Amino acid sequence: MNINATFFAELLAFCIFVFITYRYIWPSMENLLEDRRKEISDGLEAASQSQRKLEEANKESATILDEAKAEASSLINQANSRADQIVDEAKEQAVEEAKKIKLSAEADIEQSANKAKDGLRDEVAALVIAGAQKILDKEINAKANKDIIDSLIKKI
Amino acid sequence: MAKENAQNLIETSDYIGHHLVNLTFGWCEKTSSWGFANHQQELFKGLDSACKVSEMGFWSFHLDTIFMSILLGAVVFGFFGLVNRAAKKGVPSKLQNFAEFVHEFIASAVNSGYHGTSKIVGPLAFASCLWIISWNLMDLLPVEMASFFGHFGGGFNYFKILPTADLNAPLALAIVVMILVTYYSVKTHGAGGFLKELFIVPLGPLEFISYVSKHVALALRLYGNLFAGEMIFILIAIMFGQFAMSFSQTLWFLPGLILNLSWALFHILIVALQAYIFMMLTIAYLNLASTKH
Repeated sequence: MNINATFFAELLAFCIFVFITYRYIWPSMENLLEDRRKEISDGLEAASQSQRKLEEANKESATILDEAKAEASSLINQANSRADQIVDEAKEQAVEEAKKIKLSAEADIEQSANKAKDGLRDEVAALVIAGAQKILDKEINAKANKDIIDSLIKKI
Repeated sequence: MAKENAQNLIETSDYIGHHLVNLTFGWCEKTSSWGFANHQQELFKGLDSACKVSEMGFWSFHLDTIFMSILLGAVVFGFFGLVNRAAKKGVPSKLQNFAEFVHEFIASAVNSGYHGTSKIVGPLAFASCLWIISWNLMDLLPVEMASFFGHFGGGFNYFKILPTADLNAPLALAIVVMILVTYYSVKTHGAGGFLKELFIVPLGPLEFISYVSKHVALALRLYGNLFAGEMIFILIAIMFGQFAMSFSQTLWFLPGLILNLSWALFHILIVALQAYIFMMLTIAYLNLASTKH
């Protein structure tokens, strides 16, 4: 209970332990924690940086996507208009072709009609002549009346 | 019956007295020789001196206090030293986590309380806080344990395991703090300024009295709290003693158990709190000493 030389022993021991702490424990711990703090802050910094990069990349990819979409839609438009054009052209061609075919068909028809007409005329003329010959067998000379009959036929 | 009571009373006071005496090795005036105080140990028969503890003068050592405090210091600072040596920058181990937590706790107290430039304050606060906690924790060991092992295991009849309950130990810490405070005061204010502050401004020598008493109080506060705690443990232990002495006192056992447990639980608070208070006051005193005001 009383104060005695134990005091000096404790004083010395305390000084030694403070020295040990001062020399071996405190600074290394401080350094360690400081290093860790730096490491963590670096890590956080890197994380936020990569976050930013990711956002930028996202934005970039969105713009690229938009551009691609725009391009694609313009391509589709172009293709559509080209297709329309082709269709129109084809239509025109078809119409023209049809006209041509119609014309040639009409010409054919006219020709065959003419032919038929000629044929008919000839036949009619022959029939008329034959009829007239039969009727006028006695009185009328086929050659003399041919002009009249021909003019008749032309009128038909 | 009265005789038996008187007998019990003597044994009780003996019991208390026994638990308050340190294992003392010192200079015996009577025989002019160094030796253990009378009948304190059986291990070193030749070193026993004729003097009782109370007859030894200033030049005696409380071997139990010195042994326990250095042992505890070696354990605590050894632990932190080893953990530090094995420490790595990356993901810390659990022990390292614990050591870093303790360090951070003390470092934040130092950083918030001390605004000077000294590099010694952190280590001082660290060493004092942890050393005192390790001392104080000894108070939670059963009071009879040390005596039991000291007597039957080591041949020492007297062995106090609580260094804080020996005023020498806390006083040594407080004096180290006082020396440092004086050093930094002189460094900051100059010798003249410091003396002027102590004796002239603002209230004359009162400042000097407060200067001395605050450092003595630093030691006495710690000592008083732990000594009182130890004393209460001893008093509670007497209840078990009563139980052991006669079977008719059986009813003491249960209250003894309850009181011991509850006081130990409460004492955990004191153990940590007193160490914390010592540390914070050390930081505050050193802050006052090393900042201009």
